[in-house]
Amino acid sequence: MRLPMLSLSVDQATVEGNVMKPSVKSILLGSACAAAVLGFAPSARAWTLQQAAAPFKGETVTVVGLDRPSYKAAQKLTPEFEKETGIHVKWVIYPYGNTLKAETLNFVSHSGQFDAILSDVVWPVDFAKANWVTPVKDFMDDKAILDPNIDLKDFFKVWRQGFTIKGQLVGLPFDSYSGLLYYNKKILKDHGFSGPPKTWNELLTKYAPKLYDPSKHLYPYVLQSARGETQTADGFTRFLWPWGGRYFNAAQKKITLDSPDAIKGEEFRQKLTKYMPPGFLADNHPQVVQLLAQGQVAMITEWSAFYPTLAASRIGPDLGVTVEPKGPKGRFAAFGGFAYMVSAQVPKKMQDATWLFIQWLTSKSMAKPLIENGAVVARISADTNPALQAKFPYLKPMVETWEHGSVSDWRPQIACYPYFSEIVSDFGSKVEAGDYTVPVGMKKLSAKLQSYMNSTDCWSSVNIPGK
Amino acid sequence: MTEPGVPEVKEPLLRRMEPWFFVGPSLILLLSVGLFPTAFVLYFSFHNWIMGMGPAVFDGFSNYADALSSSGFINAILRTFLFLILTLPVELFLGISIALALDQTRNAWMRRLVQILLVVPIATTPSVVGMLVQLMFNSQLGVVNYGLHRIGISPIDWLGNARGAMGMVIITQIWEWTPFVALVLSASLATVPQDIEEAITLETEGFWARFRYIKLPYLRPGIAASLVFQTIFTIKTFDMIYSIEKGGPGNATEMIALKIERIAFSGFNVGLASAESVLTLIVTIVLAQSVVAFLYKDEV
Repeated sequence: MRLPMLSLSVDQATVEGNVMKPSVKSILLGSACAAAVLGFAPSARAWTLQQAAAPFKGETVTVVGLDRPSYKAAQKLTPEFEKETGIHVKWVIYPYGNTLKAETLNFVSHSGQFDAILSDVVWPVDFAKANWVTPVKDFMDDKAILDPNIDLKDFFKVWRQGFTIKGQLVGLPFDSYSGLLYYNKKILKDHGFSGPPKTWNELLTKYAPKLYDPSKHLYPYVLQSARGETQTADGFTRFLWPWGGRYFNAAQKKITLDSPDAIKGEEFRQKLTKYMPPGFLADNHPQVVQLLAQGQVAMITEWSAFYPTLAASRIGPDLGVTVEPKGPKGRFAAFGGFAYMVSAQVPKKMQDATWLFIQWLTSKSMAKPLIENGAVVARISADTNPALQAKFPYLKPMVETWEHGSVSDWRPQIACYPYFSEIVSDFGSKVEAGDYTVPVGMKKLSAKLQSYMNSTDCWSSVNIPGK
Repeated sequence: MTEPGVPEVKEPLLRRMEPWFFVGPSLILLLSVGLFPTAFVLYFSFHNWIMGMGPAVFDGFSNYADALSSSGFINAILRTFLFLILTLPVELFLGISIALALDQTRNAWMRRLVQILLVVPIATTPSVVGMLVQLMFNSQLGVVNYGLHRIGISPIDWLGNARGAMGMVIITQIWEWTPFVALVLSASLATVPQDIEEAITLETEGFWARFRYIKLPYLRPGIAASLVFQTIFTIKTFDMIYSIEKGGPGNATEMIALKIERIAFSGFNVGLASAESVLTLIVTIVLAQSVVAFLYKDEV
């Protein structure tokens, strides 16, 4: 492209002595050319957060958070954002179990209470279907508030897919977990094992019998099984995928939990329960983490977010962490986490201010400080950093899991997921308690879910990742 | 009342309305806080409305039909009845015993101390009570099993099975609400005239006779009030049970309040949850009225 400046003419310049005095016309032409050059060359003016935030100075962005390490880290670092932008950030913290309720009521009542919406990976269909959140694309199209370094491809693919609904990315991943196998190296070594099991079958047949000693309060493994999302995700789904089981066939609108593969997986879980400590049915995440921390169990499969807690416990020096064991049909580790979205019900100005915050929070540059403060993020550049991996041993297995052992619809991405999960949790817990045999329980569960999916027309909301 | 032949002097309107000015503000507050939500629930019970999936659509009695034909709802109601039957008589028996013991106590200081201690369970937030139960009675990590282990008793699985969990919920409910019954009945016993008590001691020294012919008639209003309140409180129990195990394991401790909460805030099915709430309200009113009718049947 020929730069306009080259066409600048000095035809009408006048000369006084040895100095060329430009005419009014040439001054105006020169100024116009300079402006054009600046406009056509974006790299000449770098994007800064401070400049982008100037129109929003003094605004307050309300952000939903959880009482978990990643949000504590985010709150600790938030003053940096506030100082740079002049935008105030107000954190509203909820227990996980209340978050969806609070956010849904906010939307249904149009209260505009929250600007930044936190979405579990099983909720985005709800939010997107109801048009409660603004798609990321809308902000990507606005150069004034888009950080050129946003680099969405730096989020792990499975996380981008997890929050892409009907082809539209609706959130930026934050507080991202994978399931990992945590183990007590000393206990394993004392019982003749040089390392953790690689497969579930190995855990059951080789490790469990040797590590089971109730008289010494020692158990090989415990599975968090408390009623609620813990039972659905951690307890039930964990033993579905690795055996080839699936929740449904969306094309046929059929629940497939009574398939032979699904039954095999849950039967395996039942065999494993014989080696678990009594009362495990009432155990949630804090209890199983404590059982490992206190040396009463040798292994647990838990979210990567629990690494800091276990590393700081008395088994810290003996703590080992690796990928979850494989099943007969491969490794499909627990997949869970969150993303930040922008509420579509707040004024455009607030949406833009909110976008600046969540863009900053989930940026590549913030990933390292967040990790160092106890958060778990899904940025490839940070999670694969050798120095960070050396400092935080959970990063390497987490990366390996996200790259080779995770699917984003590990739990169904459907609009009616919350109550779907309640049904799974109810029957999953009853099967574990022995109220039903596995085949009978899975059949009843399938029938109940089929009826629910049909009656609520939830099939139309099924989100298939990558489609 | 006026004498015959003397014309009745009507009081000024303002004077006649005086009592309403005193109770009015409280009544307005009560009605607005209680009536509006009730009307809201009644309205949506006749509508099909799942939050986030379109507007509410009038649907007649279909939500009621769905609730009454749902095994989940029926089982939750039956479970709640069982919970009521197993807690109420125990609370009443223990409450009467504590009230009588307090009544017999001559030491005013001791009586005051016990009355204050009785307030502690009622004053503790139910969700905190539930969390404490969950922590203390955990099979492997709880302090109760640790104590049992120290005295040579094997750990008990308090919460990890259906019967154990239901048992713990019942025991916790009794622990939490017996003091309320005891305090109400203690107040009733305080109304027994001193001279009647002294007179009966001249007639008989039998405890049962004194209880039956003197104390029981004065206890009856307190018993009626306790039973009515406890029926209502028990049917709507939520926080404590939710904090212990969210209605689990399975749905072993899922009472009707938890069931409705699940429908409303997991399923976001406001219509169905509203219908179930109205049905539960009807059941509660019928039960409460039955208690009063039974206790005062000889006065009808």
